Amino acid sequence: MLFVTEVEDPIKYIYSITGATALTLLYLTTSISMLKRAVNFIKYRRTVGWFSFFYACLHMLNFVILDMELDLALAIEETLEKPFIYLGNIAFLILLFMAITSQKSLFSKFYKYHKVIYVAILLTSIHFVMAQKALSVDQWIYLLIMGIIVIFKFLQRSKILNI
Amino acid sequence: MNYIKSKDWELPENFVTDERLFNERRKFLKLGAALAVSTAGVMDLAAKEFVPSPNLEYLKEPNLQKLTLNSYEQISSYNNFYEFSTNKKDVKPLAQNFKSAPWRITIDGLVERPIEIDMEKLMKKFPLEERIYRFRCVEGWSMVVPWVGFELSHLIKHVKPLSGAKYVRFVTLYDPEQFPDQKRSSFVALEYPYIEALRMDEAMNPLAFMATGLYGHTLPPQNGAPIRLTLPWKYGFKSIKSIVRITFTDSQPLNTWQKMAPKEYGFYANVNPHVDHPRWSQARERVLGKFLKQNTLMFNGYENDVAHMYKGMDLRKLF
Repeated sequence: MLFVTEVEDPIKYIYSITGATALTLLYLTTSISMLKRAVNFIKYRRTVGWFSFFYACLHMLNFVILDMELDLALAIEETLEKPFIYLGNIAFLILLFMAITSQKSLFSKFYKYHKVIYVAILLTSIHFVMAQKALSVDQWIYLLIMGIIVIFKFLQRSKILNI
Repeated sequence: MNYIKSKDWELPENFVTDERLFNERRKFLKLGAALAVSTAGVMDLAAKEFVPSPNLEYLKEPNLQKLTLNSYEQISSYNNFYEFSTNKKDVKPLAQNFKSAPWRITIDGLVERPIEIDMEKLMKKFPLEERIYRFRCVEGWSMVVPWVGFELSHLIKHVKPLSGAKYVRFVTLYDPEQFPDQKRSSFVALEYPYIEALRMDEAMNPLAFMATGLYGHTLPPQNGAPIRLTLPWKYGFKSIKSIVRITFTDSQPLNTWQKMAPKEYGFYANVNPHVDHPRWSQARERVLGKFLKQNTLMFNGYENDVAHMYKGMDLRKLF
């Protein structure tokens, strides 16, 4: 009851909380990979990634159950029609793939494909921006973090930055 | 043998309700009621407790359509008022020190009687009435609000527009001292002052309403004190808040959101479930306080009153 009376727009609220958490954890997962030579937190990487996927699942369930009210035909129609939604769904599929192939038995075979996380980050960030009517300062901060990750990764790959 | 014969209406001592419980019986009843009825009912109960006592005199609306009102709390704590913040929950706390009195409104442009008038005097010119209106935000949420105010047409007739006046343009207060977002030097959410406009026939429609109150009480600042527009058949952003200037013009003014993103927001912004926002669907809406969505109605349910104004117009192009 507390939840319902405190929150005016429950569906929107669940979207915001789960979406922002999933995205933050996604940023954290890549940061762990990129900084592994400076600070080695690699043993937590999978757990953080799984948590991100968990929040992405809640986000997705909110879409299918509360927003689309289990009308799968409508969910698919909306997905195909609105770039904002299909970008989110593609990102979700990428995370799903990563979650499945991150088991110990599969990881050795699939880890090289886990670079798709950068695609997921890019898509999720665009999805996040498209969900807003106008960008607030907090949302600019998300974009800034994404920008830093992209630039950092680029510099790392081109061996300009040696971390 | 001597014994006390109890009368048949007498109850034994242990039937007596404890004084403490007796005194708290209303609370108990409320609790029982709260548990028994649906969450919506609980929210009604909660809502009634938060309504400030009415301070306006107005003609009550009978609510013939039997719309379920959103609570005062909901209406006054979930606000799109970018001058304060883009976060709907932050607007209320930021708006508490807003000074909505004294307040002057300028009415000018193509009118016979341009005026500059104090809000207090303006309020006395027109009898106040209540209007229970659906309110649909372009973002996909909605609510039902009991506004208090007067018809915009009364005000327009009072200033006597000239025959050349084809549009009415409204402007929100520009005051960086009071509006934090107007004070920002960068990352400003919108271009200020906020501007909205109507075609003359839309402005004269009996549904177009100038609201000065909510639930019988003067408007709280976060809802657009001291005076705002309410246009129930249009998306919420057309219902401009805290108005300081009304100008009659001969050409179509550019409203703030259309200027910001012309592909997404038009001049008309009529509620239309068949024309989607480019990024999201407008077919359904989330009523504040509810988990389940409902279908959005054509012109937000006011088709009979407004559809004639848009006859022959391509609503997909003129959205």
